[in-house]
Amino acid sequence: MTWRTQANAVGRICWFNGILGLLRSPLVFVALFLTPLSFLFFLLVVAPRAELPYGVVGGVLFSCLFTGSGMMNDCAYLRLERQMQQVFITSPLRPISWVLGMALSELMFTIPALVLFLGVLTLVKPIGPSSFLALIGVILLTWLLASSLGFLLSTFFRTLREIWPIGMVVFTSLSVLPPVFYPLAAVPASIRWVAFLSPSTFASQLAVNAAGLATTPVPSLSVLSSAAGQLIGLVFLTLTFIAVAMWLARWREP
Amino acid sequence: MEALTARALSKNYRTRQGTVNALDRVDMTIGKGQLFGFLGRNGAGKTTFIKIASGLLLPTSGTIQLFGLDVLGHPREVRERIAIVPQEGKPFYHLTPREHIEEYLRVRGASAESAKSTADELLEAMGLVPYSHTPAMLLSGGLQQRTLVAMVLATGAEFLFLDEPTLGMDPFARRQVWEVVRRTVKRGSTVLLTTHYLDEAEQLTEELAVIEGGHVLYKGTAEALKSKVRREVRLHFAGGFTARELEPYGEVYPERGGLTVMTTRSRVEELTRVALERRIGVNVGPVTLEEAFLTLVGRSIEEDEPGGAWA
Repeated sequence: MTWRTQANAVGRICWFNGILGLLRSPLVFVALFLTPLSFLFFLLVVAPRAELPYGVVGGVLFSCLFTGSGMMNDCAYLRLERQMQQVFITSPLRPISWVLGMALSELMFTIPALVLFLGVLTLVKPIGPSSFLALIGVILLTWLLASSLGFLLSTFFRTLREIWPIGMVVFTSLSVLPPVFYPLAAVPASIRWVAFLSPSTFASQLAVNAAGLATTPVPSLSVLSSAAGQLIGLVFLTLTFIAVAMWLARWREP
Repeated sequence: MEALTARALSKNYRTRQGTVNALDRVDMTIGKGQLFGFLGRNGAGKTTFIKIASGLLLPTSGTIQLFGLDVLGHPREVRERIAIVPQEGKPFYHLTPREHIEEYLRVRGASAESAKSTADELLEAMGLVPYSHTPAMLLSGGLQQRTLVAMVLATGAEFLFLDEPTLGMDPFARRQVWEVVRRTVKRGSTVLLTTHYLDEAEQLTEELAVIEGGHVLYKGTAEALKSKVRREVRLHFAGGFTARELEPYGEVYPERGGLTVMTTRSRVEELTRVALERRIGVNVGPVTLEEAFLTLVGRSIEEDEPGGAWA
């Protein structure tokens, strides 16, 4: 198969697994709106009004990070329960095309929530076209990072029962514990670098920067204070996750 | 030309109880264009063999080639030429049978027109036309299985692995699948089929292998397997005989509330005469593949020396 036919196959997977899946199970995207909107509502009630834009940016990133959770669930389900992954990879389709098709289809489930949050963001903190494009870039990088992590995790499961607890631990610690929904300034300055142990902190600080919100210095590790340092960190982590996912992906059981 | 060649293929799993030999130095050849059957009890090693041959599982040792290509060394080239119906696979819950066939063909590189015309043909041949626009989640288990099989057979891949493809299907649907499988082989595909339906193996396959405990006990035709049992006739008695009385005539086993004995042609007259004297009804017929299979695998288990008597 040529690269063109591989690209076409990626599009087909996105169409039948993502778009058709979404159109035929609309309840799924109600569920996808619900969690980030709940956090947003919580922030509206308890946080100072000035911090609301951080919550909206957090909603954008939360939606992106949860494509990883969807990826993990779907890939494990299609491999273990339906055995469809086996049907698709024993074909001219390249493994990378299957992963990319699945990742794109998960993005389809997130797009409605992303549109909503970006719309709310333009209301609470108007941003220019260049900032908007920068934000889209951060969204894409976060989607790639979360998807590769989700796929990587899916390859380790031996039963469907393992998915729920592991998914909760991994994706909650990526999206709720680090400063995604709250400003980095809320973390004491001396231990702010600890927040950067989570890849989502790089994404959230870049998104905060792109949205023109006040950024917070990291005194003990100044390279993490700059947008360039954060971008390099996020790109490095994304590429690492993709490489590890491709390397460890269990196309062949040992 | 050989389509598949396995040499000393082994697969060991380490468990808490020790090492399990799922496959133990299996040698196997399947000719190009052949419809080959793989028979064995649950856990005998059939699916392990298919997973290794299709590149889904790494063997512990040995080699396996498909059309002369090493499966381990050239996975991409091998995958271009194969398709698989996995054991207990299930279609996407939200897609219709038509979408399954068309989308799978398009993912494999077919054009929209070709995918549509192949889908038309397969839906018709597999009796899926009335359900072609019904999402799989609303179909019965048998129809879902037919959808999965149709999707894979539609590819017309050079080598098709069908792991229990008719599981859960009614007898009519099974015969529809058989017909499509035969047609696919006529068009040039090679098929490796595993099944627990012995009639299916007898009807469909040109050659078969019986596997037990990771060893190949037998490879040849169904007819030759039946002759290896060295019993040509089966007699079923609804009652009136004890197992001990029948044992001198051949293998005896309980069936449908009575006893069946597999024996030679020369003993039939004697047995039927005794039955008539006792005014007992008797059914006489040829030994089936199922009986040959049970005898072969049964002996292998009893002797605890796989392959000892039959290899």
